[in-house]
This record gives sequence, structure tokens and C-alpha cells, in this order.
Amino acid sequence: MNDLAVATVRLRKTYQVPVRQSGIAASLRSLVRRTTRDVHAVDGLSLSIAPGEITGFLGPNGAGKTTTLKMLAGLLYPTSGEVTVLGHVPSRREPAFLRQITLVMGQRNQLQWDIPVADSFELNRTVYRVPAAAFRRTLDDLASLLDLGPLMMKPVRQLSLGERMKCEIAVALLHQPRILFLDEPTIGLDVTMQRRIRAFVAEYNRRHGATVLLTSHYMADVEALCKRVIVIHHGRLLFDGELSALVARFSTHKTIAIDLDGDAPDARAVLERIGEVVSIEDGHAVVRVPKSQTARATGEILATLPVADLSVEDPPVDDVIERVFASTRDATGDGDASHEGVAG
Amino acid sequence: MTIVRLLAVYLRVGILTELQYRANFYVQAFRSVLSLATGLAGLAVVFSHATTLAGWRPHELLAVLGVYLVISGVVRFAIQPAMERLMEDVREGTLDYVLTKPEDSLVLVSVRANAIWRLVDVVLGVAVVGYAVATSGGSLGAYEFAAFVVSLGAAVATIYGFLVILTTLSFWFTRVENILVIFQSMYEAGKWPVDIYPAWLRATLTFLVPVAFAVTVPAGALSGRATPLTLAATVAIAVVMVVAARRFWLVGLRRYSGASA
Repeated sequence: MNDLAVATVRLRKTYQVPVRQSGIAASLRSLVRRTTRDVHAVDGLSLSIAPGEITGFLGPNGAGKTTTLKMLAGLLYPTSGEVTVLGHVPSRREPAFLRQITLVMGQRNQLQWDIPVADSFELNRTVYRVPAAAFRRTLDDLASLLDLGPLMMKPVRQLSLGERMKCEIAVALLHQPRILFLDEPTIGLDVTMQRRIRAFVAEYNRRHGATVLLTSHYMADVEALCKRVIVIHHGRLLFDGELSALVARFSTHKTIAIDLDGDAPDARAVLERIGEVVSIEDGHAVVRVPKSQTARATGEILATLPVADLSVEDPPVDDVIERVFASTRDATGDGDASHEGVAG
Repeated sequence: MTIVRLLAVYLRVGILTELQYRANFYVQAFRSVLSLATGLAGLAVVFSHATTLAGWRPHELLAVLGVYLVISGVVRFAIQPAMERLMEDVREGTLDYVLTKPEDSLVLVSVRANAIWRLVDVVLGVAVVGYAVATSGGSLGAYEFAAFVVSLGAAVATIYGFLVILTTLSFWFTRVENILVIFQSMYEAGKWPVDIYPAWLRATLTFLVPVAFAVTVPAGALSGRATPLTLAATVAIAVVMVVAARRFWLVGLRRYSGASA
């Protein structure tokens, strides 16, 4: 177990949340006597992650991703179950453990707002007691990879969101952590900057062999970085494996997008015979067909309709994920109201 | 030592930050002078009617005013900004960044913020205390001086512990700014020795809000009012406050890690 970067066994986190009823009378009653309800944010999660892996955490809002990440980073005490990260119990928050991890939260800053970036870096150098030579080497490295040169002397408040995120990531890596917990690191960034951050994380992982755990709402992040994905829903593990396996397992269909050339009043009728019409308007149609029938369907469309353009696509991974949630709900009959997630 | 190292680096950040807002310096200097002037005016009014106030002679009351300025300067320079920052971090969830640092969390939150211009109060206060001692006629004995220094240190520790306890409440109630405002108002009473107040208020200012130990005792020490027993009690209270604050902080942290989403 000590060879693993992260290991959890039946990890659970239960929050007690106050139950509030609407209305003044009920609010007054709750002043005197609060009734609470258990919410299982993480519910029996067992994981093992090897050193050097980049793993993506997927799940809808409130699935328990952030709660899991916070338990791994030692910020939350598990309700039950076991966690070890690099052989340490995170919630003890031993300095030897904290020196080896880092946490980046896309929505929260740790840089000092009013002072130049370089001074914030200096601050973290002191807190982590990084020797001056090692610090300079790491900083040069990060600065060239992330192109921080022009930003270093500016106060953080003058940076754009994307520039700030680059600096946030750099400041979180100055102590050369062995594990990176990245909670939505690309949130709110434009596509170019998202790509930039992704490329950096991949490069950092390659150079340092660091283990990366990433949550993101952007599938592109996960597709670009993570060979392995862990899908959780209502705090439970739904899928753990390669991203390609996830797509292969859960996507049974392909999508055919067609641009029609000119009028084709019978287009809808024709397409409905071929597959499931997702949309059809203004000469543009999207049809879903079973994977095995893709070739036949494509031939038939080309033969019967005036096609200007046609493309066959895998369904977006987002859709696949949605399908995963749907199929598991059907499979396990998981409609249990007690398994609500909480946001965060 | 870790604390000194961290203090130094955060002090540097504080200076860098404040240098960008130079207007603050003038505002602060004006406030400090104003506060000193009203204090002096109050003393002038009292001593135009009497030669002593509850046994305190003019230069002794001046020392009280000076100590009041020094302590409030230290509180506003270092302790209060750190506590305000802590409350903000609890509210916004950025405390997570403190808790993932390999340093003692209470030390880190205590040194993280400062407001250097508030040191103007400290400088003025020291000047006032110096003047009070110089005009007292007699020279300052070694015991008096030592008692003053020890009780001043104890005063800072006591108030620090007290404010940490108040601020830690934010783990439960999130919004505790109002409690700090109440503390500030009560602290204003420390401009005068607590002896002049009625018994109930004196008790409050001694045991509920430790103003007596923060201002009256150190100022009194200068004129030999601090018996070894008083001094021992002052130090003991400081130790109890700091230890209690630390314990309570750890309880608060457990709550934060147990319930925050």
C-alpha cells in the first residue's frame, strides 16, 4: 500500500446539514431545536493511484469530487474509512506530508493581491523553506514553461484571469510537490489559456513524475491529460479505468451530422427510418445511429438525400458521461434520497 | 526561529503592500495625533479640577495614555489585521491554503497580515511614556523598568489570546466582525486606569475584557504600583490566555475540517 501515491479504502464523508423548512414559524422553531439530516458526500470510495499517474475526477456538481480531494489533502477528516497519501494519513497534516503536496483551486487565490508576483513566490519559498539555489532553478523552469517573465514584477491585481492562474499554478509548485491536487484549474479561462495550462500540467508530470489528481468541468482537460478517469456520482464510484474504455463501454452510438443542399421535404421521414433524429432545422440535421450500422446508414443518407456535407462523430464525452450516470441509475435503482451530494 | 523568520517575511510583504498606498500613512498619522490630542485634552480637563484622580497623579495618567497608545498600536499593527484576514479566509474558503502549508497553522494566521502605518501609534505612545517618566521627578528604578517591560509583554500576549479566541468563533458563526467592534469599544475605556470606574465595570474590564491587564498594570508598573504578586498574576493570565487560545483554535479547526464543504 505504501508504494501507492494515493490509497483509500471505503472512504466516507457524511455531513450533517440543518433541515430548514420555509416560513417564519418553522424558522423560529429551528432556532430552538435544529433538526439535521445526514448527507453522504462521499460514500464508500476505494481508490488506488500509482505514483506518476494523471487521474481525472469526473462527476456532476455535488458528486463528492471536491470533498474527496479535500480529504486527500488533509483538509477534511473522513467520517470513516482509510486514506493514505504517500504513506501519510492526510488529516494529521504532518509537515513532512504537506511539503510533498500542493493544492490549486481554480476559484480561490493564494497569491497576495497587492504585491508583485515575485514577492508572493518569495513568501512561499520561506514558508516551505526551499533552499535558494533550488528555488531559483525551479522558478527559472516554471517561468520559461509558463512564460511568466513579463508578469513577475506586476502586482497580482493587475493580471488577467489567465495570467493569474498561471502564477497560481507556479506558486503552488515552487516546493516541487510530488502530488498535485488540482480542483478546476482551468475554470473561467479562454480556450487558448486552457490549452496552455493543460500542456504545462502534462509537461510537469513528464519531467517530475508527479502524481496529478484533477477535477474539471471541461471534458477537454480530462481528454487531453488523463489516461485514467474516475467517475463518481452521489459519492460512489461509477467507473475507474481508461478514458477510451469509458467511451467504448458507454457509447453505443455514433452521431451523423448532415448539411443538406437545397430542399428536401422528405428529409425527416428518411432520417427517422435510418436512426434517431436528434435535431433537424434549416437544412442541418443530426442523427444518432447504433455504432455497428454507421457505414450502412451513411451510405443510405448519401444515396437518398441531397447532401452538401456529412460527418460521423463519436458522441461528445460529456454525453457519454451523462449516459454513465443514467445507466447506473437504472442498474442500481439508485433513487435513494438519502444519498444526496452537497455542492463543493 | 520559525516565528521570527515568518514574521520577517510577512513584515516585508506588509511594507511592500503599504508602500503602494502612501496616503494611508498620512491618514494614519493624522488619526494617531488626533487620538493623542483628545487624550491629552481629557487629562487637561481632569487636572484643571483636581490634583489626583483615584490616586493617580498627572504624570501617571500620562503614562496610562502612553501605554494605551502603544498597546493599541501593536494590536492594530499586527493582531487585528491578522484576525480580520483570518475571518475573511474562513468566509471565502481560502483558509485551505493556510492549512496545506507545512507550518503551524496558528502561527501562520497570526503573522500573515499587518498594517505598518499603525506603528505610528506605537512611536507616539513610547514618546508619551518617555515624557511621563521624565516629568515624574524621580528616576525609574530597575525593578519598575523590568516590571513595566514584563507586564507590557504580558499585555500583548493577553490581548492576542483574547482576540484569537474571539476570531476563532468565526468557525461557528462565520460573521464575528461585530464582536471585534465591541472589543474595540471596551478597549477605549483603557485610556483611563480601571480604578476610576465603578466596581461592576472594573470587574468587567479586568476579567471579561482584559483591559486592566493590558493597560493599567503596565502603566502602574512605571510608578511602582505593580507588586510582585500583581506581576505574577499578569504573567499567569497571559500564559493562560495564550494556551486557552491555542486549545480553542485547535477545537475550531477540528470543527472546520469536520463540517466545511
